[in-house]
Amino acid sequence: MNQPSPSVRSDAPLLEMHSISKHFGGVMAVADVSLHLNAGEALAIVGDNGAGKSTLIKVLTGVHELDEGEIRMEGRPVSITNKRQSRQIGIEAVYQDLGLVDSLDAAGNVFLGHELKHRFLGLTFLDNARMATEAARVLKEQVGIELEDIHVATHHLSGGQRQAVAIARAIYATDLKILVMDEPTAALGAEETRNTLMLMQNLKQQGIALIVISHNLDHVFRIADRIMVMRSGRAVATLDRSTATKQDVLAHIVDAVETEAA
Amino acid sequence: MIVALCLVMAFADPRFFRLQNLMIILQDASIFMVLAMGMTLVITGRGIDLSVGSVAALSAVIMAMLIKDAGVNVFLGMAVAILVGITCGLVNGFVVTKLRVPDLIATLSTDLVFRGFALVLAAGVVLSRFPDPLTWIGRGRIFETIPIAAVIGVIVIAVGFVLYRYTPLGRYAVAIGGNTEAAVLTGIDVHRHKIYQYMLLGGLAGLAGILLTGRLNAIQATAGMGLTLHTIAAVVVGGTSLFGGRGSMTGTLVGVLLLSMVVNALVMLRLDFFWQQVAAGLIIISSVAFYAALQDPGRGGLSGLFRRARGGRS
Ligand SMILES: Nc1ncnc2c1ncn2[C@@H]1O[C@H](COP(=O)(O)OP(=O)(O)O)[C@@H](O)[C@H]1O
Ligand SMILES: [Mg+2]
Repeated sequence: MNQPSPSVRSDAPLLEMHSISKHFGGVMAVADVSLHLNAGEALAIVGDNGAGKSTLIKVLTGVHELDEGEIRMEGRPVSITNKRQSRQIGIEAVYQDLGLVDSLDAAGNVFLGHELKHRFLGLTFLDNARMATEAARVLKEQVGIELEDIHVATHHLSGGQRQAVAIARAIYATDLKILVMDEPTAALGAEETRNTLMLMQNLKQQGIALIVISHNLDHVFRIADRIMVMRSGRAVATLDRSTATKQDVLAHIVDAVETEAA
Repeated sequence: MIVALCLVMAFADPRFFRLQNLMIILQDASIFMVLAMGMTLVITGRGIDLSVGSVAALSAVIMAMLIKDAGVNVFLGMAVAILVGITCGLVNGFVVTKLRVPDLIATLSTDLVFRGFALVLAAGVVLSRFPDPLTWIGRGRIFETIPIAAVIGVIVIAVGFVLYRYTPLGRYAVAIGGNTEAAVLTGIDVHRHKIYQYMLLGGLAGLAGILLTGRLNAIQATAGMGLTLHTIAAVVVGGTSLFGGRGSMTGTLVGVLLLSMVVNALVMLRLDFFWQQVAAGLIIISSVAFYAALQDPGRGGLSGLFRRARGGRS
């Protein structure tokens, strides 16, 4: 039996980021930002352009290495120096550029690098049929989307469908704990946006935590449990959705918060 | 396109369709079937191999010298040819991945190296008159009709079809060629799989060297000079994207047959040999340019072209 390390608490949140700083040359892109996140919770990060939102989540997803600070998963300190490490601990990012292989179908992408195989005449072959059924199942039951033709190359799918495939891959292949989405609805039409918001609710119900960057406060208020406002690299406020209003959030974004006395 | 060519040839010269001539086309195509299968995987993986002609020559020269000069068993000699090819492929793969030399430069250089070795080894001699099994493979016919080499070629393409669709080798070639970063992120060992692709093509180039030797019943170090470009052309004419990520084994088979028919037709029409060369070159360029235009992702592929064509007319 291992003695639990004194720094690991059993009641620790899923993710903690402590005093994270990241600068590019002289630009302090993220300055002393802390946040925490529980399973099944959605945290929205809002703020003006250049506030440091993307940089903060890129530290989490292994695109940038942090200069200062500490990241803990389930109470355990983790080092994230590249994207693969981030994936391995259950953090997946869905960017505008979704990292799909366009010429492969949904199943090919969902199972990329973790293909299902079967043996035939002593040789090992890809089990394309089973991957197709499984991918369709994950897409339907866990992501909440049904493709007309599961065998079509993802290159021919719509933006929302491609996003769904990328998320299905994250769920299936990497024991997804935290999904990071940078402007997930920005490039989508009304119908697809509705699907994506529903999909995010789905994921939360499955205990997956979300970090969502968005400029659309309507969307933010529909899915987020807490809203973190960033300005000039700093986290200036973290508001609870149940008590905050859009006006509150906007005020923090543009730095026009009235003092208590006023 | 094949249909168009057949129509033209039907008018130009009915002899084109004689069984005899069709079998000659198949015979000529067989070496390219073998090479093009491996080339399809390499190009799908966003690579290219300009050294296959030299690998075929080097493998064949080494095999021929073992059989003729060292009295080695003919089957052992053939096995060695394939092993030499695989080794050359390993070298290519190593240079491309571990030394990070771009595929084009790497294989352009190893092409010189492999050809150089062949020239040094053969020292200007033409080796000829080989044991039956070798000539049987190269020029034999089943029922005095179907070329054995073509049977081998079709089997190789069929194996390629299975590799492409039903094994990680093919799947990862698509992934690496289509989105290398995504492939790396999902944990695919990109270097290892690129090396596998080049080794497979190398081994097939060794087999092509065997077929070449058997057909001519002779081999010299300068053999197989035109093989590389012709192979790449057949693969691209068959619809495999030079940008990587998209390939087709059936397309490759069609491309090989089409190019062999074109060359054969030019011979039938008794074009002067030098004009044949010019025509073959032009056809290759125009086919490749045609498909490159179709496959330009920005233009929406084949459907995009049709859309543009329709839009232009209406
Ligand atoms: N790779 C980079 N190199 C240099 N500066 C960067 C880089 N990425 C972001 N920055 C800078 O860091 C600051 C925060 O940018 P970013 O995190 O993209 O903001 P946001 O996503 O909130 O719009 C900006 O001043 C931006 O110019
Ligand atoms: Mg941003």
